Amino acid sequence: MKASEFLSGFLKVVESGLRHLVRKRMTLRYPEFLVVPAPDELFGFKPGEARDTNGLRGRHLLDLDRCTGCRLCEITCNGISGAITMVKVEGQFPRNKRGIFPSIDYGRCVFCGLCVDACIFDALFMTDREELAEYDRAALLYGPEEISKPPKELPVKIRAKRAELILDERRGAHHVQRKN
Amino acid sequence: MSYYQLVPGVYVEELPEKEGKITVSIGPQHPGSGHFRLIITIDGDVVVDADPDPGYVHRGEEKMCETRDYIQNIPHLERPVVLDSAGIQFPYILAAEEILDIKDKVPEKAKYLRILLAEFNRVISHFYFLAIQAIFLGHSTVLEWSMADREVLMDLAAMLTGARVTFAYFVPGGVRSDVPSGFVDQTLKAVGYLRSRMKEYWRMLVDNPFMKMRMEGVGVLKAKDAIELGAVGPNLRASGVEYDIRKVDPYSLYDTVEFHVPTYKEGDTMSRIKIRLDEINESLGIIEQVVRKLDGMRGPVRHLVKGAALRAKPGEAYARTEAARGMMSFYIISDGGRTPYRVKVDTPSFRNMKLIPVLLKDVRVADVPIVFWSIDYWPVEADR
Ligand code: SF4
Ligand code: SF4
Repeated sequence: MKASEFLSGFLKVVESGLRHLVRKRMTLRYPEFLVVPAPDELFGFKPGEARDTNGLRGRHLLDLDRCTGCRLCEITCNGISGAITMVKVEGQFPRNKRGIFPSIDYGRCVFCGLCVDACIFDALFMTDREELAEYDRAALLYGPEEISKPPKELPVKIRAKRAELILDERRGAHHVQRKN
Repeated sequence: MSYYQLVPGVYVEELPEKEGKITVSIGPQHPGSGHFRLIITIDGDVVVDADPDPGYVHRGEEKMCETRDYIQNIPHLERPVVLDSAGIQFPYILAAEEILDIKDKVPEKAKYLRILLAEFNRVISHFYFLAIQAIFLGHSTVLEWSMADREVLMDLAAMLTGARVTFAYFVPGGVRSDVPSGFVDQTLKAVGYLRSRMKEYWRMLVDNPFMKMRMEGVGVLKAKDAIELGAVGPNLRASGVEYDIRKVDPYSLYDTVEFHVPTYKEGDTMSRIKIRLDEINESLGIIEQVVRKLDGMRGPVRHLVKGAALRAKPGEAYARTEAARGMMSFYIISDGGRTPYRVKVDTPSFRNMKLIPVLLKDVRVADVPIVFWSIDYWPVEADR
């Protein structure tokens, strides 16, 4: 390698690196900001249109009034991760005479969303909540009552502002806070 | 006599010892090699013999397929290669569709969406390759860059499928969700952004004089050896053999998109990096074409197969695709039940493993990580 070739190659590398000093930073402060790329929609299955709605596949949301206790979700999940077990819930449910509903063990769930595809009664959805860490395994077992309520707001300390990714050829990729 | 010691005093296996040479066992738990053991024999600091020892992360994926139906098999089959989860799903789904006899019912839009996600995954996987190769070279700038630029496409994939890594997006009969609003614009922006970044990667890795000194002429694989050893994918093309399943045996709608297959003659470590940079560029071209076709395309994305119809007739099916690491193929036999009778997965990493002893021979110990990683060997994929 000639000395001039070496020098020009080396200077180009340094220039490429230095340019990043003036570019915006791509990383974001995680617990304070959260990227939610998908539209604000629940992930759910539309049998009529044979498709899923676009949404992140996070914690499930169960509609207790629509669930018939047909066990299709449990049967599907048995071959996947075995996260779903049916449990009995006290109370009157006109569509669900036996009163059995799915409970989901998030220590096992792989968030494939195929249980949502299996539910033909429009009762099971997925929310964009992915922060499910707990101190012990038992707390990861969510009963039907728990998954029928929308996810709780995260504690104030880690309450996230939603961010979106801006792709700019000149200034680089960076995140800004989402408007809504 | 020297033994491989698991704990002091417990001898597991005898390592071969040659006169005046030292045998080193790298792995199985090693940040560089992945979960996989590599036994090298060195003379001074030159490798005289390298012996890959796969199987540490064997999960029995093929056996697991026999107790699950064609839909339940989707999530676990992604696990061997989560970096390229669409790459491993693609041949499985094609073979499953053939055996379920719904091959002709797949909507056109679904075929394009499959190509789109497969190319996303190729880029994501190649960026990961560049990141690890860079850190083996001591080049932490490119490690950070590729890890960050990977995110761009992973976020887009999450927008489309709902998950960032394990998409579970392909199903027999089509794909699971449609293009969300704003996706086409954001993807075209991402393609423009990544194209501008690729020039910088080229400067940093290929035109960089230090990288040239480290990688040019190191770990050379000749075209003849590559063919004889059955190398596949970018490693084969880096040795000058133009062989890409997307061209030689077009599947899905790959024959309707334009791209070319980059090749290099040298077959050294540097050309295996160059080929991946080129492939990212080609994939970005495919993504752009497909996204433009999808813009405004109407129609269903899935031919819904009801649970009872998920029963295949007795028979067999075979499908192969070009995954990020090379030819990936599935062979499914059905005996007429709800579950496959036998599933055989042929992964590119398993085929490329045979290159390790050839490439590492006469390489200096300091170069072992970069030559080893330059073939993009992924132990979990090879062990299945
Ligand atoms: S998302 Fe998948 S793993 Fe989780 S409960 Fe549903 S089917 Fe089971
Ligand atoms: S959630 Fe859906 S699939 Fe599961 S038991 Fe209820 S109705 Fe059936």
